[in-house]
Amino acid sequence: SLFRAEDISLIQLYIPLEIAQPTVAELGELGQVEFLDLNPNVNAFQRAFVGEIRRLDEMERKLRFLENQIEKTGIKPKPLTGNLYYGRTRTQQEIDDLEARLTEHEARIQQMNESQDTLQKRYLELSELRQVLRETAVFFEQAESRTDDPLLVIQREDSHLLAGNPSPDPEDAQDQRDSGRINLGFVAGVVPRARMGIFERILFRALRGNLYMNFAEIDEPVTDPGTDEVVQKNVFIIFAHGREILQKIRKICESMGATLYPVDSHPEKRREDALAVISRIEDLKHVLDSTRNTRRMELSKVAESIEAWAMMVKKEKAIYHIMNMFNYDQNRKALIAEGWCPTNSINSITYALRGVTERTGSTIPPILNELRTKKTKPTFHRTNKFTAGFQAIVDAYGVATYQEVNPGLFTIISFPFLFALMFGDVGHGLLVTGALVYILWKEKELNVKNGGEVIFDGSKPPNLISTIRWDMFFGGRYMIFLMALFSVFTGLIYNDLFSKPLNWFGTGYKFHTEHDHEMRVGEKLWTYAVGIDPAWQLAENKLLFLNSYKMKMGIIFGVMQMIFGLTIQIFNHIHFKQVQYIYAETIPQILFTVSIFGYLVFMILYKWSVDWLAVGLNPPSLLNTLIYMFLAPGSVAPSEVLFPGQAALQVFLVLLALLCIPWMLCAKPYLIWKESVRHRLQGYDNVQGNRDSLDSDRTGEVTPHNGDGGHGGEGGGGEGHGEHEEFSEVVIHQVIHTIEFVLSSISHTASYLRLWALSLAHAQLSEVLWDMVLANAFTMKGVGGTIALYIAFGAWFYLTVCILIGMEGLSAFLHALRLHWVEFNSKFYGGGGRAFIPFAFADFVEANGGPAE
Amino acid sequence: MESITFNIDNGYLDGIVRGFKSGILSISNYLNLTQCETLDDLKLQLAATDYGNFLQNEPSPLATTTITERAREKLVAEFQYIRQNAGPELAKFLDYITYSYMIDNIILLITGTLHERDTHELLERCHPLGMFDSIAALCVATNVQELFNTVLVETPIAPYFEKCLSAQDLDEMNIEIIRNTLYKAYLEDFYEYTQTLGPTTAEVMGEILKFEADRRVINITINSFGTELSKDDRAKLFPTCGRLFPDGTSRLAKADDQDQVRLAIELYSEYRKFFDQGPGTERSLEDRFFEYEVYLNKRAFLQQFHYGVFYAFLKLKEQEIRNIVWIAECIAQQQKERINDYIPIF
Repeated sequence: SLFRAEDISLIQLYIPLEIAQPTVAELGELGQVEFLDLNPNVNAFQRAFVGEIRRLDEMERKLRFLENQIEKTGIKPKPLTGNLYYGRTRTQQEIDDLEARLTEHEARIQQMNESQDTLQKRYLELSELRQVLRETAVFFEQAESRTDDPLLVIQREDSHLLAGNPSPDPEDAQDQRDSGRINLGFVAGVVPRARMGIFERILFRALRGNLYMNFAEIDEPVTDPGTDEVVQKNVFIIFAHGREILQKIRKICESMGATLYPVDSHPEKRREDALAVISRIEDLKHVLDSTRNTRRMELSKVAESIEAWAMMVKKEKAIYHIMNMFNYDQNRKALIAEGWCPTNSINSITYALRGVTERTGSTIPPILNELRTKKTKPTFHRTNKFTAGFQAIVDAYGVATYQEVNPGLFTIISFPFLFALMFGDVGHGLLVTGALVYILWKEKELNVKNGGEVIFDGSKPPNLISTIRWDMFFGGRYMIFLMALFSVFTGLIYNDLFSKPLNWFGTGYKFHTEHDHEMRVGEKLWTYAVGIDPAWQLAENKLLFLNSYKMKMGIIFGVMQMIFGLTIQIFNHIHFKQVQYIYAETIPQILFTVSIFGYLVFMILYKWSVDWLAVGLNPPSLLNTLIYMFLAPGSVAPSEVLFPGQAALQVFLVLLALLCIPWMLCAKPYLIWKESVRHRLQGYDNVQGNRDSLDSDRTGEVTPHNGDGGHGGEGGGGEGHGEHEEFSEVVIHQVIHTIEFVLSSISHTASYLRLWALSLAHAQLSEVLWDMVLANAFTMKGVGGTIALYIAFGAWFYLTVCILIGMEGLSAFLHALRLHWVEFNSKFYGGGGRAFIPFAFADFVEANGGPAE
Repeated sequence: MESITFNIDNGYLDGIVRGFKSGILSISNYLNLTQCETLDDLKLQLAATDYGNFLQNEPSPLATTTITERAREKLVAEFQYIRQNAGPELAKFLDYITYSYMIDNIILLITGTLHERDTHELLERCHPLGMFDSIAALCVATNVQELFNTVLVETPIAPYFEKCLSAQDLDEMNIEIIRNTLYKAYLEDFYEYTQTLGPTTAEVMGEILKFEADRRVINITINSFGTELSKDDRAKLFPTCGRLFPDGTSRLAKADDQDQVRLAIELYSEYRKFFDQGPGTERSLEDRFFEYEVYLNKRAFLQQFHYGVFYAFLKLKEQEIRNIVWIAECIAQQQKERINDYIPIF
């Protein structure tokens, strides 16, 4: 239930080693056990199942590799379907199979990648060669047209020399490159365009300008198969003189990342080469295409099931991580696990365990023991999709101490209510309600797996949605729905619809003009049926009336909520068997609050209930009354009298409040002290104090204390050290607690005035928006008026949604949150617990992009 | 003034680098690392630190070189990130840091070429922080003049190089001299530059660079014993920005053996302990230097609003990588007894 955390038991499991893995898998699917780490002192890599985990890591690496390849190829992996999430238990055999399969796939793909890379490289080289041949042909032709070029003459001679020399197999580029045995000649090749500048500079510097260089850009960019980067390249040809220099040029070229290609100086040979190259390129292209196809097929086969495999490996890894937390019983060949589980779920756990035994056909079933424990148990509130949002608000403040009263239950109503007090407007409420009805109606479809931001074109503005995570908004959908409904309600009470009142039942005022005044004066005939009379909306003194009304209302609800919070303490005290604290703590606190602020509430209600005009008196100021109640007790100014006997009552209340302070201060430490004395008289102190007071031979001695001993914090001389310090700590704690309570009771009450302030701000803003934007458009006539109205309505609606619903909603939410966290929770909620985090596969299925709920 | 204006340009990076610094392995991390049995254990342990899954995609039999490479890659990536986001002044400071790597790379390439190693293999061994565009062309050169004119003239370290143009042939000895002359020029220049960067940077970097210079002086002296380097030549290699200059350096210039070095150092209280070979200490002189360097670099983080943290971070991280590699090597070679000889940082 949501009122208290569920009973949690410490369970111990004896799991036979053979079926440990399926058992943990089953418990993971169930998601009801939080395992304890039984070997906290063992290093991560010295644990029992590190080997398996490492193996799975390796498998994950392979999966990542495959995934990467699939992504590169542009195949879409088949997404996980629902039934695969909770697939059947996986046996060791299957994991082995999977590993073998992964290894095989990886090897195959790697091989294919390699061959593809080599082919690609070859292809690249050939196409570069083709470019070089084409471009150099242009150079040579240009050169031939200018026969007076001395370089060329020599070069020609040279090429004649070479003509008879059969060129080696053009396929082997390396050999060809060495074929530049020419004393004077040229080097041709390809260099990345980005390095062209440096290349040229270095060449020039190294050869002192003794070269003739020509280059041309290759139009089509080349993709480097190694890095997948697109590189622009240039073809160059360098003419130089002398073997040494050519050698040097080659060396520089190589070191600069240029690729050299053999170019024959004989034009006919060049043409032949070019043809050969083209045909070889064609061949290569075929081979390349078929390799690519096989690879693609292989990858798409992998893509079919890669997600499922990844999930499988992930689950398996989680299982082994959990098993690493178990103790290994050498004798019985069993793993011993300890963990927390909700007491209610023990049955389902036993059932699951039996299921595992049957399925695996194991002879020894796992044994489940319930252990008694003194350890602090984790807190577990079972929530559903409706309550989860509210519980999350409470948990964000602090997880409840085990089995203390959980404010989450009350928050379900009080949170939307306080929100609505600040946000009250029928129109805004209805807009949000509409949006939420749509969301709730389409709940299943909108429950997107996308954990990131989703632009949702509902009536919430897109700029808001894109800044808030959709998850967050969606997770709180029921809360927002309730908040919207409550806003409609408070809007009806405030009689406010986009700052306009609704006159459904006819106003209860009749107006007549008085002669000596410019204004019309209303005369009240009857009370309006629901909420505030619409006539107030137009009244001059509207703000005066509304402010006073909302302020007082804020105080009333605030005091009610705080006193309610205090009474919850009683449930806690009874549950934790500390009934005496009810008298020592809760009752003085309640009395203190009631005698001051309860009285204030009473005065407010009393003042409302009296028709002061009819009595013919000026209504007294409550604020002054409250202040003078303390400043001048026992006397009430005649103009401020509310009711007869007020002075006496006030004196009594002040005295009562003052009495409560020492009561709160002393009673609890005294009880604690008395308890410890009783313990000692029963001879228990040695057990407790042994550790601290071995050196003290007076440990067992007890000095009687008088009743006030608690106040000073000075215990008897014979007490052990630990006891002593503990007690003075208690006293100090109590002093702080009391001071804090007394001071905060004032500030907290004042804090509830934010209900008024925000509600005022909201109403005023929406009024301003209406008057400034929409109302202006109503005054225009004709076609212009229509267009103006069209535009103005758009602007008004947009601003309403953005500012009034979006921003104001957030601010009201924030203040409602504060009122719960600070003003309400501080009255009774410890929040010192630890959340129960069961081991559940469902959790990381979600973390992996599953539905966020 | 620094405290007012420093964060305008450098606040973000200062924060980043201090964040990086808090990710440096602590003594408890090292304790865990030294308990590892295999390199895979090491990988597992490192995965829990700031290194994260930097070895995630490495197939299982790990080599120590892979660890070094990946760790260095990570450091370089961090440094590059800082460099890319730096304002002009800081960028220049960071560039200065990279010059020392450039010098190392150049020397590596020249030496490699001298021994006729493959250029590409050499290039792979170069430190990525000291790369520049035309570095590959270094292997073309056969003498110093050519080296300078072809390649180095357009690198930022050209001004340093001008001072050693007198050396003609490229042999082992000359390369060593070139390296030390370059370093001397570089250190002096860097020192000068840091002294212009405001009082805090000047102070912090001054401390560190002074020590760096002194370390070089001592190392050069000790290494030159028994070589044909003349005492005059040796004195020319000493950086002049250190604490030892001019008194200590002139003494060291005359030193003939280890004892004389010790006597010369004795006068400087900070350095005296380097030669105090107490019983039971097996630390080499180099380790002591590293320790002191770590101490200085750590101290840089105690001051606010200065550039020293960037330098210190890089050096500390390098020390950390050296430590990890040391531990990894010890594990790989089953030399567990020496595994604790790393230099703890925090």
